[in-house]
Amino acid sequence: MLTPGVLIVLLFSIFPLFFTLMLMFGQVIFSEGKMLIKFAGLANWQRLLQDQRFWNAVLVTLKIVVIAVTAEYVLGLILASLLYQRPFGSGFFRVLYVIPMLLTPIAVGYTWRMILDVGRGPIAGLLKRAGLSPVGWLTDPHVALYSIVLIDVWQWTPFMFLLLYAGLEAIPKDYLEAAEVDGASGWKKFIYVIMPLLAPSSIAAFLLRTIECFKIVDIIYITTGGGPGQATESLTLFGYNVGFRTFDLAYGATIAFSLFFMVLIAAMFFTILTRSLRGIRLE
Amino acid sequence: MSTKTIRQGLRFLRLGSIYCFLIAWSFVVIAPLFWLITTSFKDKLDVYLGPKFIPWLDFRPTSKWWVRIFTIEKDTLLKPYANSLIIGSISALCSTLLGLAASYALTRFCFKFFFMKNDDIIFWFVSQRIMPPIIIVFAIYSMYQTLGLLDNHLGLILVYTAFNLPLSVWILSNFLSQLPRSIEEAALVDGAGPLTILFHIVIPMLSPSLTATFLLCFVFAWNDFLFALILTFSRAQTMPILIAAQHFQRGPQWWDISALSVLAVLPPVIITIALQKYFIKGLIPIGK
Repeated sequence: MLTPGVLIVLLFSIFPLFFTLMLMFGQVIFSEGKMLIKFAGLANWQRLLQDQRFWNAVLVTLKIVVIAVTAEYVLGLILASLLYQRPFGSGFFRVLYVIPMLLTPIAVGYTWRMILDVGRGPIAGLLKRAGLSPVGWLTDPHVALYSIVLIDVWQWTPFMFLLLYAGLEAIPKDYLEAAEVDGASGWKKFIYVIMPLLAPSSIAAFLLRTIECFKIVDIIYITTGGGPGQATESLTLFGYNVGFRTFDLAYGATIAFSLFFMVLIAAMFFTILTRSLRGIRLE
Repeated sequence: MSTKTIRQGLRFLRLGSIYCFLIAWSFVVIAPLFWLITTSFKDKLDVYLGPKFIPWLDFRPTSKWWVRIFTIEKDTLLKPYANSLIIGSISALCSTLLGLAASYALTRFCFKFFFMKNDDIIFWFVSQRIMPPIIIVFAIYSMYQTLGLLDNHLGLILVYTAFNLPLSVWILSNFLSQLPRSIEEAALVDGAGPLTILFHIVIPMLSPSLTATFLLCFVFAWNDFLFALILTFSRAQTMPILIAAQHFQRGPQWWDISALSVLAVLPPVIITIALQKYFIKGLIPIGK
């Protein structure tokens, strides 16, 4: 029963991984309609490390990940702890808040492209009515990156909210009652009782969201296409452009692998954090 | 003022600020969707002459773009929709069934591949999700080129099945390990084989999470952009690719693309509402 699942993963994840690994150390030559791979040593890596565009993409991706994931965590935590108090209508708010997460990113990117449009967008219109000068949300190289972050936060705060809300629900009620008996105020209860108990779900949420955020491509592809210039070109988009626009598969594979390493390091960091946290608890 | 009124005042203040925040965020969630939907009902001039906000007050809604999509452009526009539905549902069904088979085996029997035991194998499945799609897409592209699977429904179905399998194994193995073992043991004592137990006991008990897994896998396949962008050209084109192509070919024809986006967003919204009762308890098992 295990075999079909293992086979499909081997065929579609492990084999491609090794193929990409091979591409990384080679050079692709097309001759007579056939694709040949010639060994080229570390040439691709040498080129990568000297490529200004690569370092730009690394910086863009890291900036988006750090700012967006942090903002999503803070907003998700606020929303989760507000709904945790069960105000009237919390069932309705809960469903509403989850919706953006499951929407097609292409449609989301497109919607925001309309909203942030300099000439015909609603935000530009409101700014104009208020007598302010328009901002090139997606065309100004200093602003475009933050617009991408804004869209990512809009779409993915629901994910953080969902995980943190589930984490809050899982906290045993007697802990909170005990704190109340000891006379802890609302804030003290939150900082000294809830937050430490929420740490495992917080780390899990950070881990999952960071992994996914590193792969960001579709929203950028639709809203800015990586521009203006290369101001919003993420690593996945860079890899796609190199691999499938200029058809330099070997170099594209090298870029993809560098992204993989970064995701792996991030994932390991959070996993170790979880382990050490568990260790503290056992003592 | 007595302390009682102060306390009451504070409570009102607290409740008021909670609602302020909740309503503000509701606005943030709804406003972009409102803009998307209204734009699909705007005439060309209403789009070009700057932002118009409220239907009937600022502009007169028109349904002509919607009519056009379902009449003149039916073939070009609705074929990708059908593609997305077919590819999404078949691949979601495959990943759910494969995930069920794998997680049932992994939670009920003991395995050992070299140093890997059951928990390690589950982790191995789930960890596939760490890999960025861009890294495997190069190999799959070359593989499909030789196999003739480019721009093919089957090709995309296979990729999405593999891509969603980690998710399916994660959710289902968590649920399977939480199911009370006693019922299955009772059936075993009564002489039922493992397959009878799976079909007559486990699957009925698991049906809510199987539904949830199926719908979630469907949404992820439906929403995917990168694989479809690279692996399809025309015949097997999916909805997100159609929207992106329209956008780049026709320029800012906002009304058309908005209507298509509404169509693309519809299934996920319906699924979110259908899934709401699974959302908190169960769909996302925390820790382990």
